[in-house]
Amino acid sequence: MLDTIQEVREKARALRAEFEAAVAAAADAPGLQALRDRFLGRKSGALSALLKSLGRLAEAERREAGQELNALKAAIEGRIEEIASVLEGRMRAAALRHERLDGTLPGRRPWVGRRHPLTVVRQELEDIFVAMGYEVYDGPEVEDDYHNFEALNMPPDHPARDMQDTFYLEGEGGLLLRTHTSSAQIHYMLENRHPPEVRIICPGKVFRRDSDVTHSPMFQQIEGLVVGKGIHLGHLKGTIEAFLHALFGEECPVRFRASYFPYTEPSVEADLGCVVCGGSGRLAGGPCRICKATGWLEILGSGMVNPAVFEAVNTRIGRVVYDPEEVTGFAFGLGIERVAMVRHGIDDIRLFYENDLRFLEQFVG
Amino acid sequence: MRLPLSWLREYVPVEVEPQRLADALTAAGLAVDAVETAGDETVLELDVTTNRVDCMNVYGVAREVAALYGLPLRPLDTSAAEAGAPAGEALDVVIEAPDLCGRFCARLLDVKAGPSPAWLRDRLELVGIRSINNVVDLTNYVMIEMGQPSHAFDLARVPGGELVVRWSREGERVTTLDGNERALPARVGVIAGRGGEPALALAGIMGGASSEIGEATRVVALEAAWWEPLAVRRGARALGMHTEASHRFERGADIAAGPAAIGRLAHLVARIGAGTVRPGLVERKGHERPARTVRHRPARVSALLGVEVPRLQQVRTLESLGFLVTGSGPEATALVPSWRLDVSREADLAEEVGRHFGLQRIAAALPPATRPGRLRPSQRRERRIREVLTGAGLVEVVNYAFVAGAQMDAPAEARTRLANPLTEEQDTLRTSLVMPGLLDTLGTNLRLGRRDVAVFELGRVFVRTDGAPREQRRLAVLLSGSTSPHHWSMKPRPFDLFDLKGVVELLFARLGEAAPEIDRESAPPAFLHPGRAVSLRRDGRVIGGAGAVHPDTRAAWELKDEAVVLEIDVDALLETAPRIARFGALDRFPAVERDLSIVCDEATPAAEIDARVRAAAGERLRSVSLLDRYTGNQVPPGKVSLTVSLRFQDPERTLTSEKVQEAVDGVVRELRAAGFEIRGE
Repeated sequence: MLDTIQEVREKARALRAEFEAAVAAAADAPGLQALRDRFLGRKSGALSALLKSLGRLAEAERREAGQELNALKAAIEGRIEEIASVLEGRMRAAALRHERLDGTLPGRRPWVGRRHPLTVVRQELEDIFVAMGYEVYDGPEVEDDYHNFEALNMPPDHPARDMQDTFYLEGEGGLLLRTHTSSAQIHYMLENRHPPEVRIICPGKVFRRDSDVTHSPMFQQIEGLVVGKGIHLGHLKGTIEAFLHALFGEECPVRFRASYFPYTEPSVEADLGCVVCGGSGRLAGGPCRICKATGWLEILGSGMVNPAVFEAVNTRIGRVVYDPEEVTGFAFGLGIERVAMVRHGIDDIRLFYENDLRFLEQFVG
Repeated sequence: MRLPLSWLREYVPVEVEPQRLADALTAAGLAVDAVETAGDETVLELDVTTNRVDCMNVYGVAREVAALYGLPLRPLDTSAAEAGAPAGEALDVVIEAPDLCGRFCARLLDVKAGPSPAWLRDRLELVGIRSINNVVDLTNYVMIEMGQPSHAFDLARVPGGELVVRWSREGERVTTLDGNERALPARVGVIAGRGGEPALALAGIMGGASSEIGEATRVVALEAAWWEPLAVRRGARALGMHTEASHRFERGADIAAGPAAIGRLAHLVARIGAGTVRPGLVERKGHERPARTVRHRPARVSALLGVEVPRLQQVRTLESLGFLVTGSGPEATALVPSWRLDVSREADLAEEVGRHFGLQRIAAALPPATRPGRLRPSQRRERRIREVLTGAGLVEVVNYAFVAGAQMDAPAEARTRLANPLTEEQDTLRTSLVMPGLLDTLGTNLRLGRRDVAVFELGRVFVRTDGAPREQRRLAVLLSGSTSPHHWSMKPRPFDLFDLKGVVELLFARLGEAAPEIDRESAPPAFLHPGRAVSLRRDGRVIGGAGAVHPDTRAAWELKDEAVVLEIDVDALLETAPRIARFGALDRFPAVERDLSIVCDEATPAAEIDARVRAAAGERLRSVSLLDRYTGNQVPPGKVSLTVSLRFQDPERTLTSEKVQEAVDGVVRELRAAGFEIRGE
């Protein structure tokens, strides 16, 4: 039995020092339990023993000493909990480490879908033009002579028809498969009679009777048509430069040269500086085959809408809607395969339609 | 066309470096494909557009070069000393078909036919023409130089010394210079002898063997005519012929060039010492094309080009190209030269001005904006379909729109054949994307050793309706092989109908549309397995089908692997305006789930059970899902146990078990009444 509070304090100090020494040595759960028993155990714990020994102190001192010892008890409990949680964390970490997965094993992935490379190019072109204020218009693939030729200033027996060997359909009506998306221009103008303000592109499949590494009997084009007051050749140049730069990069030079299409006048072809040889016409191994050593790639045909086209449309409508004295316009058409072939270095157009997955899966889609 | 620079320089003193000249010509519309140099000579390979027949010759290009560089254009030397009796005494010309021949010029030459001198042979060889004899060579030389085809007849072999221009009669025969005897259809232009018999030459296409120049020829009747372009084009096409002469005439020769061309020939005959020309030009005229004038408003031309080209500069360009501009105000008139049949309107003048001004000098600008651009809703939907299907692991393919008729399964009346197919493999417009399209895609890939094929196509088919092919937009899917790439952790599972149904359900969910219903009334297409295929219906209309490919079809196609395919009409789907989703309040009270196992005949459609459950479960039912489908020892043979999970919820309160039991009891009653057994209830 202790007689004075000083004695109690003395013992408490010693107990604390003893605990500190013991706690440093506790390294695992059983060690901590032993610590708990030794200091906090209800029967044989050192702190319980000390608490029981306060009986001889005066009432006031006993209360004070009791408070101090309880504070010590709380401190010891706290320390033990703290260490327990550290130990637990360490053990959990060790256990988790033990559950190791080999992260280098292959992943479980679904099949990877892809858009067709021509769809990718077509949608990219559509996006460029939509951003410039164009509508996208779909025309029919089966056409009549009027929309495909006559309204485009190619009357029967026109020599320019030789350039586009046509597939005709059996049966009545003289139907054919459109040889170019230009026919969609005519449909659009006939369907949209007011106001004569046009900004459209017409993507789609076209058909020509021809098949080799650079010609497919079916291929895809994008036709563009802009009509309005004051539209001029400078606008045509600006538009074509803008989208070719968007497609191939600002650094690609674009050149324009006079050409001929029956439905445009003046007619202009646009060439892109060869993206393979950089416009030099030469590669390390000899002349560039992609541009045939010219340094330029023919990329599209275009021109100012021939007034004869407006007149044909007006005649069909029965009144003057597209008055060539009031409005002018430009049109252009490019082959989507051509763009994809230049971009990806593809050397045979027929690959696009063979649907060999080894080919289709080479593209991001 | 091959153009030797030495020949060009006879008419225009252009001294620029050949490549620069080539670039300038290309920019101005005369595309130079190649510049070849051999020894002292440089040859430009020109690709002349079909409208510029006037430049398919040396002099025409010289005119362009002179205009481009502001150089003088030297005239052609047509001087020749004449000798002998006037031509008209021995030769007459009659035009019986004025709608065939606008102008016919002829002269007589006394010649000594023989080999050509070396320079002539060399020059022709340079442009790719084989030497025949001096007279024929010179006609070719003049054609290459001036663009005017001409023909030499051995006068002694022209019956009656008379050349008659007329249309052919059906079945009449001519042996042409290439040695072929040809039976003519009606209305091919011919040149014949006196009285119109027999035909000696095909007008504007090729001469005949009977009046061919040979060693014995003494007097040559030289003809330079202007033939109606359409007449030559139709005649040549009817005979399947295409010659240097027909190529030029059908695009429109220069009606004024006849006398000069013969003059040039006479000059050259004299120059090589092959003969002399008799005095007098025999000339007859048919329907001539009047000279054309075109309005020229310099301000309008500038406006179309988008650059201010001064009036004087415009006039200078036009005049250097042979136009005659009269009037000096805002509105003038340009007389079109006889060799420019391609020019008929002011826009054509703008082209002349523009390409000589230089397209590269026109400033590029974007047209003023009018309104925002957009994709139509149907176009956005099309994109969405591609996004969803590629996201689901499918690769987009594109097949030809024409297929082998022999491989189609469509009835004859639905088909449209090509009148002029390239091959039998592509002789009919497709009426289905799957048959043969996607099956072909599968076959191609199987042959290449690729067994996992999950593909789709979005495209048009052409179903003949009321006598005309009607374009229909379709979507098709084909799945064959494993549902996912091989993985070390799982056993592969082959694709089946339910994978395909899942794709459809995913697609329609992502479009915000109800999935198509299974139509049990109509039979799926015959190329599908009759037991493993379904018809699909949307808005009360059958839109297509899905299922496993029929074993017979697979055998016929030599497809060793099974495949499931889908084909649906998407016209209506694409045109359906997408709905904006309306927000619905979220349930605040917990849901209660109860499972029921229902034993039914194997033939009972699961959809029937589903419908009965929904009908009987009351308004608190939120969903019904199929948990399990069991056949085996626990159920009698021919029966199947379907376990469904019913989910109940009340928006206002927590459901009591009594309420739920009440609803479940209702379902059980209904199912038992319909003859189904409920297990464990």
